Amino acid sequence: MKQSTILVIDDEQGFIEPLKDALEFEGHKVLTASTGEEALDALNSNKIDFVTVDIMMPPGDSLETEIHSHETGILLCEEIRDSYPKLDVFCISVVTDKETIQYIQSLGIRFLRKGETSLRTILDMIASSLTGIAYSTDDPRRKHR
Amino acid sequence: MSVDKKNILQERSGSRAPAEELVKLRRENKHLRKSLDLVKQEQIEYLQNVAHQLVSPLNAMKWHIENLTSSRVSVERARKVLRSIYSQATIAVHLAKNFALMSNLEADHSLKAMREPVEEVDLRLLLINLTDDFQPQGWDKGIKIIVHDESFKKKSQVYAIKPLISQVFSNIIENATKYSEADSTINIRRVDHTQTDVVAIEVTNVGIGIHKDDIERIFERGFRSGRAQNKYPAGTGFGLYIAERIIAIHRGEIIASMNAQNDTVFKVTLWTDKLKGKKTK
Repeated sequence: MKQSTILVIDDEQGFIEPLKDALEFEGHKVLTASTGEEALDALNSNKIDFVTVDIMMPPGDSLETEIHSHETGILLCEEIRDSYPKLDVFCISVVTDKETIQYIQSLGIRFLRKGETSLRTILDMIASSLTGIAYSTDDPRRKHR
Repeated sequence: MSVDKKNILQERSGSRAPAEELVKLRRENKHLRKSLDLVKQEQIEYLQNVAHQLVSPLNAMKWHIENLTSSRVSVERARKVLRSIYSQATIAVHLAKNFALMSNLEADHSLKAMREPVEEVDLRLLLINLTDDFQPQGWDKGIKIIVHDESFKKKSQVYAIKPLISQVFSNIIENATKYSEADSTINIRRVDHTQTDVVAIEVTNVGIGIHKDDIERIFERGFRSGRAQNKYPAGTGFGLYIAERIIAIHRGEIIASMNAQNDTVFKVTLWTDKLKGKKTK
């Protein structure tokens, strides 16, 4: 698989680090953004192949008066859908609110529960999304990883 | 209800309460049930928040451990990963202790359940140990935590309930680490230069600061300033409430302020005298 550039948007160091380690191990280039503002800058100035986005995040200084941390990720999902309609996105968050999850899914974005979904599953799902090859738990390669 | 039935009811209850009285009681009962439902709802939300806050560092540890067991990180990187796991474990333990204290506070407002024996506590040593515990978390943001040893020339023993006082400073240092600017320094000093019967400790940090309107509210249960919520969405708003309640048991003082350099300052004062530190009420 060719090297892809993946943007990890999250503010919790405890989750960014292991996700970045795992994606880099798979050969991807990983960029990170910890606020809504940083995420928009990264999207505008890099060629990104895949994005993972959290929901509750600081908006960043320039957006602080306009949006609340609870909606930063939602706003980013909408922005990505508007400006980069072909870009693949996973929302990886601890949010449990059904309405929010359904709304994210209605934008054509997959929702994964942060921490509860294993990194193995996330890596396989991202690989499947980037290559177009369906993800399967029977894949013999999984046993060697 | 027929007149006969009403009379039978009144006879059974042994009173001659008129019908209006019964209606009033029924209304009060309904009102009380509603209040109870609200309290139950609040409890459910509180427990959900507790669970969520505790699960978060545990899940972060799981991801790190998955990488280690799947050999996705180099030997050199593995050391850093282990440090991160240690950091997350520190957060989990800190939160668990806070929640245990919260349930004591909720269960017993007079704090009787928390009256463990008062003992001599060396604040200098206690602060050095806490700093060692929180420093790995600080390194993630390039934050240095310094206990200024030269300020502790005098004996720094106070009479206090050790695990509780430890949690007070743990909450203050954890907050300072969380809300400090990257690459800044958290300074911990003893500042009671003139008084003889107290030890006063100041923890200062450069960060989001406290708005003057929030200074009074910062020790309220569950309070988090709008800026804190927007910059750092995860949090309970219990840490400083617990700290204030614990300091109250010790008849000490805890003050939050902003100094002339715009640093956030938390000052905690405790008695060195056994009797003064003991609550008599």
